[in-house]
Amino acid sequence: MTASETDQQLVQRAQRGDLRAFDLLVLKYQGRIAALVSRYVSDPSEVEDVTQEAFIKAYRAIDKFRGDSAFYTWLYRIAANAAKNYLVSKRRRPGSDATIEDAEVGSQAALLADVGNPEAVAMGEELAAVVEDALSALPEELQAALTLREFEGLSYDDIAAVLDCPVGTVRSRIFRAREAIDERVKQQMSGESGFR
Amino acid sequence: MTTSDRELETLSAIMDGEADELELRRVLDSTSSDPALRARWRRQQMVRELLQTRRVRQPNIEVSSAVTEALAGGKSVYKNPLWSMAVAASVTMAVVLGGQQLLVPNNNAMQGSVISDVVGGVVPVLGAQPVQASLGAKSLPVAARQIDTADNERREVAAMYERLAQDRYRNLGRHHASAAAQTHPAPYISYIRAPAPTGQESAMQ
Repeated sequence: MTASETDQQLVQRAQRGDLRAFDLLVLKYQGRIAALVSRYVSDPSEVEDVTQEAFIKAYRAIDKFRGDSAFYTWLYRIAANAAKNYLVSKRRRPGSDATIEDAEVGSQAALLADVGNPEAVAMGEELAAVVEDALSALPEELQAALTLREFEGLSYDDIAAVLDCPVGTVRSRIFRAREAIDERVKQQMSGESGFR
Repeated sequence: MTTSDRELETLSAIMDGEADELELRRVLDSTSSDPALRARWRRQQMVRELLQTRRVRQPNIEVSSAVTEALAGGKSVYKNPLWSMAVAASVTMAVVLGGQQLLVPNNNAMQGSVISDVVGGVVPVLGAQPVQASLGAKSLPVAARQIDTADNERREVAAMYERLAQDRYRNLGRHHASAAAQTHPAPYISYIRAPAPTGQESAMQ
């Protein structure tokens, strides 16, 4: 099972009316969707409103999601349309035309998305440095398990085979690695005035 | 390992798609009542993005509570009042248009009305009698069919609606004046000027 299958699990529950499952999807994707919206809309309060509206529309249309594409790709289309419609409703011409390729995580266009928001860029850079430090400070077995998971995308079964240990141990190591990193991130965020 | 640690470990496994359905259900039960667990999920997603892309986008955005509130039946909370107005306006327009659709008589309720199809416009004309079409019958001349430009068509349709509105206004005025004259004890002057029937209009004006 992969992370996108987690999305699928949550989507299926949301399709049955489970708002808690949809809430986890919102928490997961709100930053990325807001970054997309900010390519069309510059005012932060408008970005927030359009992002919110995009998720509401997505939930109301979630029965139409058949899983032919990744959930994020589908969500991305809805958000881009919501942003364009917002500009039209305000009689502003859409200045950016994000393509579906931009939906891919890490695409150059997407990485340029936050250029207009220096505060978010600075906060992201600081967090990136904290995470990198925390990762390098991990005990070797935790670092190996998390690296194989996050960078290589291996399943727990595959990681267990590579590290020659039980799957339960892999699961526990990855959890402990995340726990250690989270402690540092939490500290960093509690010091950030702009973080909610 | 405490219960909380178990939940956190399950949350980590869910993120990787390595939790079973029962575990997912348990965590969902907990996240709805445990803000710390939701915050943890959010941070984990952020850390993953940082590890994989070396940056995080819009880390300070938070709309999940407002989304859940709106979807659970609460009122949407928008930051920008213009956006609220835009949403309200679209809802109002939907209600008005829907109401107009309801007011248009359907096929079963066509007693006393005729549908005119002048240049494609469908206009219910209350008070007119329906006419059964028959083969060989000569069609009524419709002048507007000769119009060939879109602008002229629009003007023609607008003029047609204007004529219909004037007809209705005159009929209403006559009906009002007639009813008032029959029921009012004192001599009555209608505040609506009721034009004379067709043919005498020019003489009256």
